[in-house]
Amino acid sequence: MRKRAETAGAASPRKGAGKQARVTIRKLPTGVRGLDEILSGGILEYSFNIIGGEPGCGKTTMAHQIAFANATPDRPALYFTVLGEPVLKMLRYQQQFSFFDESKLGGAIRFINLSDLAMTKDLNAVLEEIMKQVKEANAGLVVIDSFRTLARKASGERSDTEVMSFTYRLAQFLTGWEATTFLVGEYFADEIRDNPLFTMVDGIFWLSQTSERNSVVRKLQIIKLRGQETVPGLHTVRIGDGGLHAFSRTLGLTGNTKKLVRRRYLSTGVPELDKMMGGGILEGDSLLVAGPSGTGKSTLATQFIAEGLRRGESGIMAIFEERPEGYTRRADMFGLKLKAAEQKGTLETLYLRPLDLSVDETMQEILDAIERVGARRLVIDSLVGFEMALAPGFRADFRESLYRMIGALTGAGITILSTVEVEDTFTGMPFSHYAISFLTDDILRLRYVEIDGQLRKVMVVIKMRGGNHSKDIREYVITGKGVVVIHPRRTDYNGLTTGIPQQTGPRRAQDDEAAPEPKANE
Amino acid sequence: MRSQMIRATPRMRSLAKNLMVYERPEEYTNGSVAHDDFRFNERLRPQLSTLYGIAGYRSLLSRALVMADAEVPWLREVHMMADGSLKGLEALRGHLDPDEILEGKIALLAQLLGSLVAYLGPSLTWRLLGKIWPKTSMNEADFSDRGEL
Repeated sequence: MRKRAETAGAASPRKGAGKQARVTIRKLPTGVRGLDEILSGGILEYSFNIIGGEPGCGKTTMAHQIAFANATPDRPALYFTVLGEPVLKMLRYQQQFSFFDESKLGGAIRFINLSDLAMTKDLNAVLEEIMKQVKEANAGLVVIDSFRTLARKASGERSDTEVMSFTYRLAQFLTGWEATTFLVGEYFADEIRDNPLFTMVDGIFWLSQTSERNSVVRKLQIIKLRGQETVPGLHTVRIGDGGLHAFSRTLGLTGNTKKLVRRRYLSTGVPELDKMMGGGILEGDSLLVAGPSGTGKSTLATQFIAEGLRRGESGIMAIFEERPEGYTRRADMFGLKLKAAEQKGTLETLYLRPLDLSVDETMQEILDAIERVGARRLVIDSLVGFEMALAPGFRADFRESLYRMIGALTGAGITILSTVEVEDTFTGMPFSHYAISFLTDDILRLRYVEIDGQLRKVMVVIKMRGGNHSKDIREYVITGKGVVVIHPRRTDYNGLTTGIPQQTGPRRAQDDEAAPEPKANE
Repeated sequence: MRSQMIRATPRMRSLAKNLMVYERPEEYTNGSVAHDDFRFNERLRPQLSTLYGIAGYRSLLSRALVMADAEVPWLREVHMMADGSLKGLEALRGHLDPDEILEGKIALLAQLLGSLVAYLGPSLTWRLLGKIWPKTSMNEADFSDRGEL
């Protein structure tokens, strides 16, 4: 629409006049967290919409949220119920949600039961009653729940025509009376193609739920919305204390890109590693730390966060495997005072392991925390744990969702350190079993090697998108100070990356190492 | 019987009585109890039928009647009509004294209010009845289901 207007304006001397003549359509808030962003701002005023889907998807709750968000004493919301859920029960359940404002009942929001009329009279009588009530109340918002049941009232050969005529007259009337309308109904996906109702409405809000193995996942799709751009695709929906919460596929991060004028190098908290990385991690980069169990990935992640805190950069640690207490305790042993930072509000540790978690919900949790503390550094420990915490149905989307989140966050200038566990093989050095290396700007690989009858640890910077880096394979230990790189690169061994190197030079003299290795106790 | 005791709490009965005093103060000042109507029902019926439908309202009222007639036996002679109105009090004229009639009305209304509270909670019931009887001085605590006065 906009393109056509601009084109027409460019070719016409009445360019300014054309722009002034265009109607400004107000957008109403939905009251559903995340939905306004999906709808590019809200619901178009005076639109005639349908909220459809199978039973149990949250249609009625969504309609209530919209009604409560917009109803005023001057322009009340009329909620017509027809042969569906009894109002007594509806009110009983809906009042449990935080959006339910009792003070609006009977005034700004009025429930009107049309069931008796629908059972005893025809659709004309129902329409007349709706029209009467809308006129009397000067309603600004109208909900008919369930419209499907009402439409079924019509029967016989004329039923389709009767329903269409009813719907058409209803739409005409409500538009004329400047009411924004929502028809709520139990429909199945294959009906969208055949039922002319879906052609008549301005917007189709489609809710669905699927089960995979033991998990159930709710999704929302805006199948159609006249005159307005929406975020396409299926968006995860969760029903909680606040009602429906939609998680936009863009995670609300569209247009959130913050161009860093001059990117600094951020210290990892391990000075020798910073040197290997040419100064540290470039601000706004994503670093993947890959290595097998026990190589110090979490320790390194903690050092990265603690170093940021020392420099006045708030942080978030999203952990999926270890409990927060364990994390904090270990950090204390390394002399990294995370608890104090948590109390000060500059650090938040998120322990995310609920069942049936969606990627988008997890990411929303992380994004909310980032906003709360104004975080500049983020740790995700680990990606394997993250994936395991997801409902099975979401795992297929994991990489795509991760890509969206990392891209959006780093675009906003947040520096991310993610860990991933990889199994050491003795023939090569994989970075991860996911093909996720494309997600990250930098990759640091940790691995075990057998040297002089010991299983030691080495690290190597594989990739740094933002600049040059050391190619050295460096040995490190985990001490009471955390990860410490101990030796310059080794020139007396070949094949360190295989884990079973060949000695090529004279044995290097070194201090005897106390056994067990001086590693911080848990 | 157990749920009956929970529903028609002393607080609910007190509230029911206050509403009836408000509706027809002469019943309490000179003992001229009306035999021919359930005025509280006529107040509640249109409002609650709009909200719940006639069938929904009839369902609530029929349960309240059953619960209340265990306390006040003459209520068994009362019949509910298709529109939710109540008939049968007229036939009992001469057989009941004013106190008995009052007691029956209070028991029935207390049960009805108790059902609303059980479904909607004290707060919503209070708001709902506040629309029906806007000039009474009810407050949310009157609908508490704790039962104390």
